[in-house]
Amino acid sequence: MYEIRFHGRGGQGGRMAAEALALAAFLEGKYAVSFPFFGAERRGAPVRAFTRIDDKKIRIKTQIYEPDYVVVLDETLIETEDVLEGLKPDGMVIINTQKKPEEVKLSRSVRCATIDATTIALETIGRAITNTAILGAISRATGKIGIDAIEKAIIEKFGARLGKEAGEKNAIAARKAYEKTIVGIAKAGKKFEGKKQWLPTVDELPLGGSIGTLQTEAGLVGIGSFSENKTGGWRVFMPVVDEQRCTGCKICWFYCPEGAIKMVDNKAKINYDYCKGCGICENECPFKAIEMKREVRI
Amino acid sequence: MDKYERGERMNLKNLPDDEYFTPGHTACPGCAAPIIVRNMMKILGKDTVIYTPANCLLVFGGTYPYIAWKVPYFHEAFENTGSSISGAARALKKQGKKVTVVGIAGDGGTYDIGIQALSGAAERNEDVIYVCYDNEAYMNTGIQRSGSTPYGAETTTTPAGKKILGKLRHKKDMAEIMRAHDIPYVATASISHIADFLKKVEKMKNIEGFRYFHVLSPCPTGWRYDPSKTVEIARKAVDSGMWTLYEAEYGEITNIYKPKKKIPVEEYIRGQGRFRHMTPEMIEELQRWVDRKWERLYGEKP
Ligand SMILES: Cc1ncc(C[n+]2csc(CCOP(=O)(O)OP(=O)(O)O)c2C)c(N)n1
Ligand code: SF4
Ligand SMILES: [Mg+2]
Repeated sequence: MYEIRFHGRGGQGGRMAAEALALAAFLEGKYAVSFPFFGAERRGAPVRAFTRIDDKKIRIKTQIYEPDYVVVLDETLIETEDVLEGLKPDGMVIINTQKKPEEVKLSRSVRCATIDATTIALETIGRAITNTAILGAISRATGKIGIDAIEKAIIEKFGARLGKEAGEKNAIAARKAYEKTIVGIAKAGKKFEGKKQWLPTVDELPLGGSIGTLQTEAGLVGIGSFSENKTGGWRVFMPVVDEQRCTGCKICWFYCPEGAIKMVDNKAKINYDYCKGCGICENECPFKAIEMKREVRI
Repeated sequence: MDKYERGERMNLKNLPDDEYFTPGHTACPGCAAPIIVRNMMKILGKDTVIYTPANCLLVFGGTYPYIAWKVPYFHEAFENTGSSISGAARALKKQGKKVTVVGIAGDGGTYDIGIQALSGAAERNEDVIYVCYDNEAYMNTGIQRSGSTPYGAETTTTPAGKKILGKLRHKKDMAEIMRAHDIPYVATASISHIADFLKKVEKMKNIEGFRYFHVLSPCPTGWRYDPSKTVEIARKAVDSGMWTLYEAEYGEITNIYKPKKKIPVEEYIRGQGRFRHMTPEMIEELQRWVDRKWERLYGEKP
C-alpha cells in the first residue's frame, strides 16, 4: 500500500485531485480510497485530502499521518507549515512551484519533484486551478501510476462535472505537466518555530470570547485577534496600484472585503499581509489604477 | 464631537478609517459579507454589540481562538437571534448603557429558521437593529436552498437534473414581510450603491425601536462566478429589478430607488454558474416574477 497526502487551499481542488488519483488507480485494477479533511475551512484556507492505493482491499479509514508522498498544490504552504511532517524517510514531495527541486528549501533534505502547474493551468485551462496538472506530475514523479490512466480518470471525473471540453483540457494539462516535471533533491534548513503550545481553555478566555483581548503564548485571543491570521498567502494574483492614475476616490478602500487597502496621502496602499487577491479593486476602480498581476514568490 | 453631532451626513469621503472587523478573517476571497459588515461598523461604531447565529459570517468572523470583531460579539442559536437581541438590549438599557444592539443573520437564519423570533421582536418593537445579509442559500453548510433562493437557481438541494432544473419556487419577499410589521424602519440595500448604503446605515443608527436592514450579499462560491465580479453582480441585481432598494417607515415606503435603465434579468444571471442550466422558458418565468414585483413596488408596469 502507498499513501498520498495532498496539501492545498480550499477551492483549489485538492479533494478532486485526490479522488481523481484514486479513480486512476482503480482504472489500473487497483483498490483505492480517497477523502478530504473536513473542517470549517473556506476557500483559501489550508486544507488536506488523502488517497490510499493498494493491490488488496483497504480497511484502514484514518487520515494519513505517515505518507509515502506529499503533494503540495500551493507553494505558499511550504512557508507556513512543515508539509514533510510524518513523511516516510524514503518518501517524496511533489510541489507546484516555478523552482527547481534543488532550489526548494524544506525542513529536511528529501526527494522532491517540482512542476510549474499554475502556469500550465493558466495556459491550458485558462484558470489557476492546478489540481489536474499536478496529477500528471504525480504520475511522472512516482512512476506508480500511468499517465494514460490519469488522463482517463480526469476526463471521466472532471468531464462529468465541467463538461466534456473542460474535461479534455484538464487531461491535456496533466499530460503537459507529466512532460515537464523535474525530479531531484530538495535542500534542508527551513526552520518552523515549534507550533505554539498553549491555547486558552474556554474558562480562561475573556467572557464570551468577546469582552476584551488577551495576550497568550499562542498570540492574541479575544476581540480583534483574527489580525494574527495572515491571509496574504491565499493570493495567486496581486493588485498593483498605479499611483499616477489613483485619484484617491476611496472606492477600492470601501470595497476591499479584507480591509487591506488604506488611503495614504490620498493614494490607495495595499496591505499584502492580508490581501487575498479577489480582484474586486481592479474591477471597480473607475480610473483603471489597479491591475492584478501574476505574483512570483521567491 | 463626532460627525453626527455636527450634523454632517455620512459619505464615502468622510467615512471613518476605523475598522471594527479586522483583516485576517477567513471569508472566501470576494465575499460580499465582510464588505457589508466592515462598512456598516464604521458608522455604527464602537458602542455596538453583535449577535450572530450559525452562518458563514459567524465562522469567518470568529474561529477559536480568533475573533475578527473589535466589539463584543456573541453567538446564539439559529432560531433566536430576534429574542437574544431583545434581551440584550433590555438588559443594557436597564443598566443605563447607551449601546446599539445588532443581530446579523444570513438568509437561512432570517427567512426560514429565525423568522418567528424575528417577527416577535419586531412586533414588540424592541430597540434593536436586525441585519440580514442575503446570499440566497445556506452557504456555510455547503449551498442548500433557502426561502430566499431565487427561482431556477441550482443548489445542492435543488440540483439541475434531467427533469427538474434548479429551484421550483420563487424567492420569498422578506423585506415586505418585515414592512407588514409596522416598525419604525425597514431598508433594503446593496453594496453597489455606496451613498445609498451609507445613508441608510446612518439613518437607522439614530432611530429608536425595531430596525430591519436587508442587504444583498453576492457569494462567489455559492453563485459560482469569478470573485472579482461581486460588486458588478450586486449592481446588475439592482438594475434588473431582481433586488429593489427602498426605505419604509411604519409600513409606508418613504424612498425607493428606480434604476434609470432596467436591464433584462438575463443579463443579471449570465456569468453566474448557479443559473447556467436555465432554459429560455425558465428565464421568461424569472422575468415575469421581476415584472410582477416591479409593478407592485413602483405602481406601474415596467
Ligand atoms: C439549529 C441549527 N440547524 C442547523 C445548523 C447548521 N447550520 C450551520 S450554518 C447553516 C447555514 C446558514 O445559512 P444562512 O443563514 O443563509 O447563512 P450563510 O451561511 O448562507 O451565510 C446551517 C444550516 C445549526 N448550526 N443549527
Ligand atoms: S460561502 Fe459565500 S457567503 Fe460564505 S464566506 Fe464564502 S463567499 Fe462568503
Ligand atoms: Mg445564506
